[in-house]
Amino acid sequence: MKVKNLKLKKGAGNIRHIVQAAFFVIVAITTTASILNEKGLAIPFIPDASLHAVCPFGGVVSFWQLLNFGTLVKKVHESSVVLAVLGLLLALLFGPVICGWVCPFGTFQEWMGKLGRKLFGKKYNNFVPRRLDKALRYLRYLVLIWVSYMTIISGKLIFQDYDPYFTLFNFWTGEVAITGYIALALVIVLSLFVERPFCKYACPYGAVQGIFNLFRIFGIRRNAPSCISCKKCDKACPMNIEVSTSKVVRDHQCISCLECTSDAACPVSATVEMLALPGSVKDSFVKPAVKSADKE
Amino acid sequence: MKLTIKSMGIIVVGAFVVGIAGAAVLGFWKTTSSKQPVAIKEGEFAGLPNPSDIRGSYTWADVAKAFNFDVKLALDAFGATSETEKVNTLETIYGEAGLPEGVEIGTDSVRLFVSLLTGLPHTPEEGTILPSSAIAVLRENGKAETSLIEAAAAKAYDPAAAASPAPASPVPASPAAASPATKSSAPTPVPAALSSTTTISTSTTVKAESAVVEHVAAPGTITGKTTFKELKDWGLDEEKIKTATGGKIGPDSSVIKDWAAANGLTFSELKVKLQELFPAP
Repeated sequence: MKVKNLKLKKGAGNIRHIVQAAFFVIVAITTTASILNEKGLAIPFIPDASLHAVCPFGGVVSFWQLLNFGTLVKKVHESSVVLAVLGLLLALLFGPVICGWVCPFGTFQEWMGKLGRKLFGKKYNNFVPRRLDKALRYLRYLVLIWVSYMTIISGKLIFQDYDPYFTLFNFWTGEVAITGYIALALVIVLSLFVERPFCKYACPYGAVQGIFNLFRIFGIRRNAPSCISCKKCDKACPMNIEVSTSKVVRDHQCISCLECTSDAACPVSATVEMLALPGSVKDSFVKPAVKSADKE
Repeated sequence: MKLTIKSMGIIVVGAFVVGIAGAAVLGFWKTTSSKQPVAIKEGEFAGLPNPSDIRGSYTWADVAKAFNFDVKLALDAFGATSETEKVNTLETIYGEAGLPEGVEIGTDSVRLFVSLLTGLPHTPEEGTILPSSAIAVLRENGKAETSLIEAAAAKAYDPAAAASPAPASPVPASPAAASPATKSSAPTPVPAALSSTTTISTSTTVKAESAVVEHVAAPGTITGKTTFKELKDWGLDEEKIKTATGGKIGPDSSVIKDWAAANGLTFSELKVKLQELFPAP
């Protein structure tokens, strides 16, 4: 059994953090430049794009209007639709990589979470009772249904007033509703206790992406015979998924961050990997109750 | 096939670079709006820009360019100082002026102003009013019927009158009885004493409606807040409604005016068609 060099693994894990930081900086610069441009303070060489123009969720909530009437929801631009399509294709192949690798608000929550981890150590990300946590994770589908319905009947971006992501990048512009500030404050505080609380419980785009976990083409597979049941994969998962008891991770909350894989947390090579998944969805829910089942 | 963290990083970044570049080449990558309102789809004004589609993100220059008038008229009308200012700044300026509850000078006021200036149809939201400086501009340059301009004048907000120590008397409801508004300088944020008793619709076939803050319309009277469910409650079935909307219909709780704007239809025209479906009183 090969146990990989931990230093090398850390380097591999950092790739995701670098990609996340890069997307965060790009979105921050672009949206700030756009706001300054509106105020007559254009920054040369920086493209003019509002947060709505670079958020794929605007494209998702516009689909109904686009298909029926050929128009977009107010404030949404064609670029959002391009990103939405790109996000859907990536999700179909690899699951919610947008959440795990791209979304600047997910990155922001992870940064806040680092502070929480320092404050609470091992207790961090384990405060919410399991049952309650499991039930709360379906809340984001209710948010998705409400946002989609309200956007369809009004033709407006209803979620903007409650969106902590919009607030984060626009808090200084005067365009943010009080509910947006409250939502952001709540997410910041919760992030000190729970990893990615907005993603887990409230993000409507995360809900859309999460559905693809059920039939994505590439997924996380655990090789049971080589698994040493150290549960490092479980501890590494920001979404509290029990990778160590799954054959294939089809959990609707997986964000495809690959933190659980043998490239990062798993100390045994070729044990937890991102592979093309030939099996059916039904296979994914088969959890090995006893060790012998693992070895099938 | 196995994917590592490194290969996933390359795939994600590559997909975005290639996807965005490809969309840009194909002309799909647009991050700003064209600042050109949608065209009116039918009726005598078909093909002309729709004032109802003016957005808060438009600058005064964008509005003037789209509707082909001198930007100075808009600046004078609303007391704006720069043509590069966005029209939604009105909501901040007049929001701080202490207008009475239920009335507003904002983006919809600009739509109303453009409508009265150009003669193009627009049905304003209940509570939308104009500053008296806009009335002065409209009296001199407006192409809409005089009665419509005077109806707007009857409700106009006059900062000078609002600032005067004497208690202001309610503005007469009838356009004919309205006293002419005088042109004033830039709006001053002062408490306004203003009575709103009528709404103005520049659709030539629509009568003035009762402008209460809550939506209390007589059954069979379509207003800017009527929903599709109300139409059904008043006895119109879905098929009949579709004959007016062109074969499509929004969800029951959808406000018809919002639905029309979202779908590029002119509410004032749609309203007339829907109204015709009800038997005359």
